[in-house]
Amino acid sequence: MAGLFVSEPVLNPAAEGEPAFTRADLVFYGVDHSGPSFEARIFLNSPEAGLSTPRDPEAGFAGSFTIFGHAGCAGDAGHCDVPTGPADPFDVRPPHALTRQTRTVIITEALQRISAPELIITIVPVRPGPLSAELAETLAFDEFRLLTYL
Amino acid sequence: MSTGAVSPQHPAVPLRHRLNIDKLSAAQLATFRAAISGAMGISDERGYNDQAGIHGLPLPISCDVAHGRPIFLPWHRAYLYFFELTLRDLQPDVTLPWWDWTADRHVPPAYSERDADGQPNPLFSAKVDPLAVQQGAEEGDRKGDVTRREPGAAGAPPLPTAKEINDLLALRDFLDFTQQLEQYHNNVHVWVGGHMGDIPFAAFDPIFYAHHAMIDRVWRLWQLRHPSIGVPHRLLGEALPPFGMTVHQTLDSNTLGYDYAVRGSTGAGTG
Repeated sequence: MAGLFVSEPVLNPAAEGEPAFTRADLVFYGVDHSGPSFEARIFLNSPEAGLSTPRDPEAGFAGSFTIFGHAGCAGDAGHCDVPTGPADPFDVRPPHALTRQTRTVIITEALQRISAPELIITIVPVRPGPLSAELAETLAFDEFRLLTYL
Repeated sequence: MSTGAVSPQHPAVPLRHRLNIDKLSAAQLATFRAAISGAMGISDERGYNDQAGIHGLPLPISCDVAHGRPIFLPWHRAYLYFFELTLRDLQPDVTLPWWDWTADRHVPPAYSERDADGQPNPLFSAKVDPLAVQQGAEEGDRKGDVTRREPGAAGAPPLPTAKEINDLLALRDFLDFTQQLEQYHNNVHVWVGGHMGDIPFAAFDPIFYAHHAMIDRVWRLWQLRHPSIGVPHRLLGEALPPFGMTVHQTLDSNTLGYDYAVRGSTGAGTG
């Protein structure tokens, strides 16, 4: 689990000389949703982005995904342990409730504004509050992919 | 929006129409409140608490099979269908209203007024199943025993806009559509906040059903716009526990006896 996430630089598919595209997706795989709800705000090439960074394109804001959280485990010991290991081919039960998920954020317009050769993805997980927002500490995912489509 | 269609199962029976909460007549709103109040007074499986607990706590959290998965829309359509039938057992003319958060950028007055007609407004808040409160508290999710909201709290994600929903309706793949719509759905839950903000307690807040009726309506609008694009075949036979329905059985809202309209009124025929 983490608060702010700042990626290593990745190649920018919108850089000069790259093929044109009509849609760009930022896909997050293996997203944890077991904790409280929060919004994950995504910024491009704004490694200093934080809680107070506005949702403006000028600030690099590209979109967000929101975790509608499970908010903990109310069961007995083991209830919220996601099974690991090979699946039984005859087990037709639905996946475990806390199996990690995939989230896709469409960032076409935001990406088309950036021509730099590399991109840094910053994620600011925000938990709303009655007086002020706070940084959520429950952001976790396995990997992300930046995909463009003609 | 309304197609004017008849139910394929009962062509002589008018469909029931779910209406915009802000456009209900005084009588329609009173009927809806009476249905909710009646359900809140029942402690068995026909009651409000039992129905709300299907979605979250007390265990099992049945919606766990639906969130973040391709059956998100069918599962919640089945959930609203059975909840609406429960209300109609109490008030035969009632339908679930929808909250158009693209136009109505606050909690609708029908839900935000503490009192209605001199009585506590049952849409303002609801008692939460004590077992749900206990189970949540044991794991650190301490929620009050009466629902409350924190709409638009600092840092809350914005409500979806009309343009965002119009862009969404243009998507031409069901899996793409449902994943993006679920994101907007999540935003509204967190925007409302309080009990609505997390899965275990969300359905105890009466506004949950108006929010989900809007989500179901957007799916219906998408189906009308893309009649040749369906749910992937591999999903059609999936069960939607605990409802005893499959995905396929949820696809046509007319088969379930309802559609969506903005406003509705009824006149007598020739007899």
